[in-house]
Amino acid sequence: MTDFASVTLELLKGFGVTCYIFFITLALSLPAGLILAFGSMSRFTPLRTVVRTIVWVIRGTPLMLQIIAVFYGPYLLFGITGFDRVPSVIAAFVINYACYFSEIYRGGIESIPKGQFEAGQVLGMTKTQIFFRVIFLQLLRRIVPPMSNEIITLVKDTSLARVISIVEIIMVAQNFARAGLIWPLFYTGVFYLLFVGILTLLFRFLERKMSFIKV
Amino acid sequence: MERLRVEGFRKKFHDTEVLKGVDFCLPKGEILAIIGASGSGKTTLLRCLNFLETPDAGKIYLDGELLADASAHYKERELREKRKKFGLVFQSFNLFPHYRAEKNVSLAAELMAKEEAKDFRRNLKRELLSQKVPRARTTARAEAKAFLKKRLEDIRLRAGELLCKVGLSEKKDSYPYELSGGQQQRVAIARALMLDPEVLCFDEPTSALDPELTDEVLRAIRSLKGRTMIVVTHEMAFAREVADKVIFMADGVIEEQGTPEEVFGDPKSEKTRAFLRRRGEQ
Ligand SMILES: Nc1ncnc2c1ncn2[C@@H]1O[C@H](COP(=O)(O)OP(=O)(O)OP(=O)(O)O)[C@@H](O)[C@H]1O
Ligand SMILES: [Mg+2]
Repeated sequence: MTDFASVTLELLKGFGVTCYIFFITLALSLPAGLILAFGSMSRFTPLRTVVRTIVWVIRGTPLMLQIIAVFYGPYLLFGITGFDRVPSVIAAFVINYACYFSEIYRGGIESIPKGQFEAGQVLGMTKTQIFFRVIFLQLLRRIVPPMSNEIITLVKDTSLARVISIVEIIMVAQNFARAGLIWPLFYTGVFYLLFVGILTLLFRFLERKMSFIKV
Repeated sequence: MERLRVEGFRKKFHDTEVLKGVDFCLPKGEILAIIGASGSGKTTLLRCLNFLETPDAGKIYLDGELLADASAHYKERELREKRKKFGLVFQSFNLFPHYRAEKNVSLAAELMAKEEAKDFRRNLKRELLSQKVPRARTTARAEAKAFLKKRLEDIRLRAGELLCKVGLSEKKDSYPYELSGGQQQRVAIARALMLDPEVLCFDEPTSALDPELTDEVLRAIRSLKGRTMIVVTHEMAFAREVADKVIFMADGVIEEQGTPEEVFGDPKSEKTRAFLRRRGEQ
């Protein structure tokens, strides 16, 4: 059970969990962040205050603490048990990343000249049309670089899932280490590097695709 | 016939009153030039007409009918309908950087056509269903699709014509960043014309341009003679030449108005005289 092939296989299983957490978190937090961004820019003061406070709390506390809070919180507060570990770690990641993304979206939207919104308004477009037809691509162009930073951080943050005993790739390697086999722990780096390498190429491709939008 | 009448426009930003009661009217097909010192409220007036700002008081009449009253509250949808009566060409063009020239011109009309096609399909479906026609849904969808296709073709054609009219038929596939300032502003003019507004407004359309590019834009505006237009401008020669009527604004009021001959040739107000003297027009 300690030869290269079987270690690789075990690590791959752990990496599967890592990828699962990564993709689901990404798919949910990207739209959730946009909704939060609209909330934090709302003209309705109570909503804006609530959203900005949430963002402050989430960005101001360690992610590890949030994972623990989401997993044990319902039990400690209300005595509710029975949540599965993976969904609750994903919930914690989505909340955390949606807050970070929301700030990127907000910065992006606010950096788009007011004249773009007004040009749409004067042409009789609806707010939704203005957002999706006029603003969105310009926004995307601006936020791909900061977003890619956060997304790459997420790849590595998934390893925090092990604080509530989810067996992702680092956890698998640590189990080997506990049994006296150290090298799989370093070997995990290769998996992360390859994955981040692919993401980097993808983001570079996206940036090139959108470079025709001069901002 | 009177196209536009503005009554009692007032607008305050915080504590400063920017428009202090502006009244004027504009006959159909005439060109109104608005001149005045920086900060006198010219842009604010145009923005109020285009519903980008809500005046604190005042009424807009279009063709003798009340279009908007500052004391009434309009829903977003109503506001959009009213906005379409006016067009605005901005000082800084505000073209959509991610669309080619032609798409910049056609976008708004295309979106409207899509909405119309949706309504068309819904109504047709209801009608066919009530007549118990078989395959009502499919028929309605196909008819709406054909309707939209025809509309989009017409829109593309019209966008091409308008670009041709402002002398840019060769540039229809260029992105805004590939165009000079003068060309961008002409695309913006074509874009504003696409919706065929009742009153077309220009806010200093040439003041962001290099001097050698202003002529092509002024020529494009001149070629629109016959439309009802309001041009806020620092180009006194242009105002003198094309305007049917000139308004001189100072500190949020209309200090003087009249024909170009009256305002430029024989200004009544001391403020107008001082302004024109500074501009070297007198
Ligand atoms: N959104 C705003 N908030 C606060 N003050 C404003 C706002 N818009 C305009 N103002 C003020 O209103 C006054 C009139 O501005 P406006 O832009 O209408 O003048 P203008 O005649 O167009 O000047 P210019 O010739 O420089 O374009 C200025 O003093 C300006 O500072
Ligand atoms: Mg102005």
